[in-house]
Amino acid sequence: MPDVTLPATPRRLPAIGPLLGAQIRYQVRLLLANGRTVAVGIALPVIFLVAGGHHPSASDVARDAVFGLTLTAWNANGVRLVAARQAGVLKRWRATPLPRWCYLTGRITATVLVAVLAGAVTIAVAALFYHLHLTLSATLGVLAVFVLGAAAWAAAATALTAAIPTVEAATPILTLIYFPLIIISGVLGSINEPQWLSTLASYLPAQPLIAGATHALHHTHGTPLLPTRDIVVLAAWAGTGIAIAVLSFRWEPHRATQRRATRTTARPQPNKIAR
Amino acid sequence: MTAIVLEHVTKRFGDFAAVDDVSFEVPDGQLLAVLGPNGAGKTITLEMLEGFLVPTSGTVRVLGADPRHGGRAWRARVGLVLQSTSLDPEPTVRDTLSLYAPLYPHPYKVDEVLELVDLTADAQTRVGALSGGQSRRVDLAIGIIGRPDILFLDEPTTGLDPEARRRTWAAVENLASTGTTVVLTTHYIDEADHLADRIIVLVDGRLVTDTTPCQLRAKGGPSTIRYPLADGAAADLPSALAHHLDPAGRTIVIRSTDVTGLLRVLVGWADRDGIDLTGLEIGPPSLEDAYLTTIGEPTTPKVRTYA
Repeated sequence: MPDVTLPATPRRLPAIGPLLGAQIRYQVRLLLANGRTVAVGIALPVIFLVAGGHHPSASDVARDAVFGLTLTAWNANGVRLVAARQAGVLKRWRATPLPRWCYLTGRITATVLVAVLAGAVTIAVAALFYHLHLTLSATLGVLAVFVLGAAAWAAAATALTAAIPTVEAATPILTLIYFPLIIISGVLGSINEPQWLSTLASYLPAQPLIAGATHALHHTHGTPLLPTRDIVVLAAWAGTGIAIAVLSFRWEPHRATQRRATRTTARPQPNKIAR
Repeated sequence: MTAIVLEHVTKRFGDFAAVDDVSFEVPDGQLLAVLGPNGAGKTITLEMLEGFLVPTSGTVRVLGADPRHGGRAWRARVGLVLQSTSLDPEPTVRDTLSLYAPLYPHPYKVDEVLELVDLTADAQTRVGALSGGQSRRVDLAIGIIGRPDILFLDEPTTGLDPEARRRTWAAVENLASTGTTVVLTTHYIDEADHLADRIIVLVDGRLVTDTTPCQLRAKGGPSTIRYPLADGAAADLPSALAHHLDPAGRTIVIRSTDVTGLLRVLVGWADRDGIDLTGLEIGPPSLEDAYLTTIGEPTTPKVRTYA
């Protein structure tokens, strides 16, 4: 029976490559079309940079850039993903012939690109207006660190969204994790913290991202372009995050709560009404 | 040939059976309407056919495959409109359709599908700025853009104005005329009447009726005579008619098999008192009544009582 209803001439499915490319472009445009994402991720760090004074050090610039990058890859990505899931956007995509990995890859890649852009704008502003010295190798090194860091943050946020039930819960949950993490990692400025806390921060994805970017900005001939330890930490976060994201990804809102609500309103309870 | 097969399908949430031992088959090219009150299991049934839900027991086959494991080729042949709109609000209608069309082997051209759902004039509008009826038609456009062999529509016209409903119907009829199998859930009896080759009725998760609009109508019982009274006219109604006044005392509503006898009384009264019978309606047995009888509701459901 299964073959009976297949069409006489099997139709060829479109090639994946162009579909993935179109999905990435589409998701980038969605991110950039959202004024809040652009304002927070790109404009805010630049404002910080301008407000910070006339001669920001390489690590000051790296901090500001990382702030914009992580706001985009973590907060904007996480909130938008939960909102899309709750609105049924993900469910709709899942029912199309676009392979599911393709949609997810498109979304994460677009997030990484826009997050890197957010970091790069800060670096560019510093180079143009604040005499930040930028060689070609330093630029490539910073971009490499940013791509890896953005992947780590985007993957971790995507993995976390599986545990966020509603869009109302998304901002508090993401923010409550984000701010303590970036504060102990020195993104908002150096703090006097106990040794154990800075050790902890060195295993989280923010501090190695700043260290890696600063290292690349200071790069001169004869020193390695990228610090191995920071790169390993970021790569571990990216790899683990993507693995958890893929395994735990939810395409639909939490069904249990939805269904129960529908049923109780749909079925009048005879005893209560008859009295 | 059979597009859809359900065999003894049950779906439980905890100990609640949302769908309870339902079996039916849909042959290729049929337009099936699934009717039933809220919570009857219509959407759950549809979601099992679409592959979103796994039955607790029983077998579901759509185009010969288990929907849960339908691959790309299977999904390319299945179009759907979910119960609520589910599109990113930022892009324009045209951009949205241009994104979905290339996913399918033989899609409609974007302009063709815009024409089909009558959205040509709104092609450059952002999806988020559309009215409810317009965004439902974008949902429909995406559902049909891949020229599906099967189209699932979950309440596609709920909340639409009459004109928008007619347009949606026309688009669905157009697709059905090309041989697409359509399964639609609806609350509107006239929608099922207008579109469907066949109607099934679910109540409390069970299949209670499997019929055609014609057969269902035949179960509707007597014809209906309806006449709205002018102010004060109720005073000297003959008792045979006064008996049939609605609770507000403004309209005579008679359900009877003796149309001739009652009309004779009505016309005699109008003749004697010089009453204008403009507004008089005589209707065939109503599909709505037949449906309400089927699902066990009183046919004049002004006051619901649960005793």
